[in-house]
Amino acid sequence: MLKFEKRENIPLHLRILIPLISILLGVLIGGIAVMFSQVNPLTVYKAIFIGAFGSTYVFSETIVVAIPLLLISVGLILVFKMNYWNIGAYGQYIMGAIFSTYFALNSAETMSRSILLMMMCIAGMVGGALWALIPAALKAYWKVNEVITTLLLNYIALYILKFLMYGPWRNPRSFGFPLTKIFELNAQLPKLISHTRIHLGLIFGIVAAIIIWIIIKKTKFGYEIRVIGENEIAARYAGINIAKNIILAMVISGGLAGLAGMAQISGIIHMLQIEINPDYGYTAIIVAWLSGLNSLTAMIVSFFLGGLFAGASQIQMTMKVPIGIVGLIESSILFFLLGGAILTNYKLYYKGRKII
Amino acid sequence: MRPDAYAITIILLAATVESGTILLFPIIGEIFTERSGILNLGIEGMMIIGALVGFVTAFITGQIYWAFFMGMLAGGLASLIHAFISITLRGNQVVSGLSLTIFGLGVTNFYGQEFVNLQLAHTVPQVIIPGLSQIPFFGPILFKQDYMVYLSYILVIITWFILFKTKVGIQLRAVGQNAQAADAMGVNVYKIRYFWTFFGGLMAGAGGAYLTLNCAPFWLDGITAGRGWVAIALVIFARWNPPYALIGAYLFGAINALQFQLQSMGTTIPSALLSMQPYFLTFILIIVATLLVKAKHIGVPKELGIPYAREEK
Repeated sequence: MLKFEKRENIPLHLRILIPLISILLGVLIGGIAVMFSQVNPLTVYKAIFIGAFGSTYVFSETIVVAIPLLLISVGLILVFKMNYWNIGAYGQYIMGAIFSTYFALNSAETMSRSILLMMMCIAGMVGGALWALIPAALKAYWKVNEVITTLLLNYIALYILKFLMYGPWRNPRSFGFPLTKIFELNAQLPKLISHTRIHLGLIFGIVAAIIIWIIIKKTKFGYEIRVIGENEIAARYAGINIAKNIILAMVISGGLAGLAGMAQISGIIHMLQIEINPDYGYTAIIVAWLSGLNSLTAMIVSFFLGGLFAGASQIQMTMKVPIGIVGLIESSILFFLLGGAILTNYKLYYKGRKII
Repeated sequence: MRPDAYAITIILLAATVESGTILLFPIIGEIFTERSGILNLGIEGMMIIGALVGFVTAFITGQIYWAFFMGMLAGGLASLIHAFISITLRGNQVVSGLSLTIFGLGVTNFYGQEFVNLQLAHTVPQVIIPGLSQIPFFGPILFKQDYMVYLSYILVIITWFILFKTKVGIQLRAVGQNAQAADAMGVNVYKIRYFWTFFGGLMAGAGGAYLTLNCAPFWLDGITAGRGWVAIALVIFARWNPPYALIGAYLFGAINALQFQLQSMGTTIPSALLSMQPYFLTFILIIVATLLVKAKHIGVPKELGIPYAREEK
């Protein structure tokens, strides 16, 4: 019935069409799911769209969500390109937030704003990078499965955060709530556009996306990453140091996730608390994959998924549609994308006749 | 030993078995899925789907065993998404599994909203096995449990037997080691992979359902709390062998029961640090297990995660 035949090269129109059709089908599945809960899917989607792009303010909120997604996903792209996995952006993001908070709480009086913010950025990156270094080294030297270690470290990071927030870092004046005190202005990332919450992190994200693109396309490190991703055995024979590349890619990726955590608390939340949206670490995996592991495309995709998230947060409040709809749509898109990938590698025949 | 210390030990170990059973089902399931060459990282997603379906069925019908079956089935159906993508369409198994987890968490958040914080009136009833439960020390720990726990004991033995002593097991292992050679021997690679991926889903669903029907008989968002990932780690610890799965699951169960007991006794250790212990233990276990597997040359299924394409030209 159905037969597959290997393709020599991937036609350009399929490279563009498959992600687009996957998005459409994913949205369709989301719509069907909504229908089961007795809500009109068209109303829901219209509300999501208006909640994401309908006014200058909600548009800016979409960008606010896109910032961490972009920062994290471009780092993940580096690791995924090698055919290795970092599922630990969630924990690295938390560690970045924790490390940078240390300076926000202790050095706000003694440092000028630019120095303090620079220290916080560095601390955030170091925190995330260290949290990624553990699974990276375990993978590089002992071949410990990095999918599992990065994931377990997410839970460990979350409990470290909870420990700090219910213990040493809780503001005595927060009426028992697990919050630090509000950061001094010194420790707040400057806004880019007034009357919105868009902060300097946007520039970090765009710069990171461009740097990662250059690394992958133009440097020896990037070349080695691509070779390892395509054929690790060949890479080893070619004398490429795989352990070194794993560690470097993971550490950069963790550092960017840490920076995203720092940017979120310094630019948006202005304090450390338990709910600092580390789930962006998982969504960023979808961004990386949807963008075809291209960090420039990731800018568009983060914006799109940022819109989905911002819009869905709106309808959660106004229409009582649970936020789970986001995960449902995202994962459906991903399923279609993964399944559709076969068409980029194979020609499809049905009863002997070529379809695609 | 003070008499009450003895009693507490018994209670703790019985709780260990219960808590371990939540993981034992999914670990056994994933052992078979991986043995057939399919890596399914969607256990967390399938577990939570099983947990919600089990809970809702029990909540509406009041039929605990029926609910367990429905939860199991729901996990199995969810696994078919992964099976279709990774077996028929030869997609990326790591991302597909992750996606299945995101799907499970999303779908249960979406449909579980109206059940949040609701409680089950009845949980799984205890079934005391006459005779065996009289054995000193072990009796009250192992045989004053429920049908699901007994099912898990039987499952360990049966699955071990199937895996190493039957033709089905040989074929399954052959497919995971070298699909092409197995195909040449006339084994249907696709059929076997589909079947055992489905089995893995059933077991993940069973673990999830056991969680909400027995250990935490209420519904909360994300109630599986990473147990699916722990299960995947413990598959490596178990070296793809069901009896070792029992040890891994109960180790996790023990640390879980212990930290729970400490918290309820009002210890001065911060609860966040106690709650972290099961994940920390698993983290250490996976490192040790990986080193052991390497040292003893115990094989990971060689073609784990590699799609098989038959008519390749």
